[in-house]
Amino acid sequence: MSELRISSIETRGVPGKRRYAMVIDLRRCIGCMACQVACKAEFDVPLGVFRTWVPHKVSGKYPTVRKMFLPRLCNHCDDPPCVRACPVEATYKVDDGGFVLQRYDRCIGCKACMASCPYNARFMLPKHRTYTDITRVVDKCTFCHHRVTQGLVPACVQTCVGRSRIFGDLNDPASEVSYLVDSLPTQVLRPEEGTKPHVFYIGADRAHTEFGRKIYDPEGLVEVERAVFNKNHS
Amino acid sequence: MGDFNVFHIMPWSGAYAIYFFVIGISAAMFFFSTLSWFRPEFQTLRFPAFAVSFVLMGAGGLLLIGDLSQPLRFLNTINPAYMNFTSPLAWGALNLLSFGAVSVAYFVMMRKNDEAMSKKLAVVGALLALGLPIYTGFDLTVHQNRPVWNTPLMPVLFVALSLLSGAAVAAFMAKEEKLLVMLRRFMLWSAGAVAAMLVSLLGTTAYGGSAAELTFMFMTSGALGAVFVGLGILLGTAAPIAVLLTQFGRQRGGIMAAGALLLVGGIALRYSILIGGQIVQTYY
Repeated sequence: MSELRISSIETRGVPGKRRYAMVIDLRRCIGCMACQVACKAEFDVPLGVFRTWVPHKVSGKYPTVRKMFLPRLCNHCDDPPCVRACPVEATYKVDDGGFVLQRYDRCIGCKACMASCPYNARFMLPKHRTYTDITRVVDKCTFCHHRVTQGLVPACVQTCVGRSRIFGDLNDPASEVSYLVDSLPTQVLRPEEGTKPHVFYIGADRAHTEFGRKIYDPEGLVEVERAVFNKNHS
Repeated sequence: MGDFNVFHIMPWSGAYAIYFFVIGISAAMFFFSTLSWFRPEFQTLRFPAFAVSFVLMGAGGLLLIGDLSQPLRFLNTINPAYMNFTSPLAWGALNLLSFGAVSVAYFVMMRKNDEAMSKKLAVVGALLALGLPIYTGFDLTVHQNRPVWNTPLMPVLFVALSLLSGAAVAAFMAKEEKLLVMLRRFMLWSAGAVAAMLVSLLGTTAYGGSAAELTFMFMTSGALGAVFVGLGILLGTAAPIAVLLTQFGRQRGGIMAAGALLLVGGIALRYSILIGGQIVQTYY
């Protein structure tokens, strides 16, 4: 495994270092969005932004149609571009575990990390929040660092009714995620970017993981909704 | 039908394009002020060009700070304990601050009529000024996931755009014929360099991966087509080159007309490159 390491920040196969990863078995995802709700509840994630989200697409033509879900979150990359891009080290990678985390009190809000993330996993927290006073800094999924360090699994994994999300240490050959990644064909999002994502998918469809021409000519309704969204989040 | 995704925003808004524009002009104006120590044609520009550079540097700095969601934390960028030198923004913050410090020292030395020291500071300031468009180019270049941005052309393109916009502004301040002739040359050569780089940029974008191809479509026949092709390439680069090559382009009126067009092109190109690199990913 070590021969696949390119950057010194990567911990693939480094003895004594854990490398947490999530496998999402799309054959088991029913699109109930419980993961999204659990995440919102765990972190008081404000309206309009998401640490995890579940986009879906319908492919094929009747009667051969299929609704495909692709749960998304921060990929906690082994070589995270956001860590490189932050001018003040407000975002950093935890060496043992591989969590990519955010120092809220240091973030200046330049959004360089958002620009560098190929997965749209980062967002700006709004000015006003009801229960939490962390505002106007960049936020993202933490792989539930606070839970994992207590021996629990992330909230989205805990709540997944179809057991579609599986979490564990990829550097541990006995873990379930290692078994799944080693024994089944898995996909990662945008592998060409060299980020070495730690979110693996089983059964991801190209229609979902790749850019489609459709975005050049999106349906009218989507654009109307986007205009309303932009107005509310400007 | 039935597709769903959450909406994503473009991290860097059009305000950054204004910053790139302003700071590019500031850098070029300082360069022209430095040139005045070596070329007699530029002598009349020495102080006026410096004054414009200084004001624009202040305006650019304020724009940059104002765009942060935590403006007062801009001080974090110069905290040695926080600096992350893998980020071009960290280099940029240092570059901008040192450029500001050298500018102040240059002003003081000029007021004291200390020519030897002023000349030395002018050279140091010009080198730091060169760093400004280079670092802004690197700000974009380093994002490997962004079509259009992720090309080695960006820092060089921004240097050429900086020279071109600066020369255009200087043309409006120039009184002597000799100076106008020199500025016309600067405009012509930097606009030519921009045109050549745009051809390369369009080529690599059109034949890039799927995200790059879609970005090419957005920037040519899509939402940004009017700004990028219309204002940036045709009106802001091709037209002024054509004007400068004619007999009219050798006269004061022609040079100023070309300068005005180049300024339009300068802002349009920066804007469309900045936004173009971000459109496709908002749908991902």
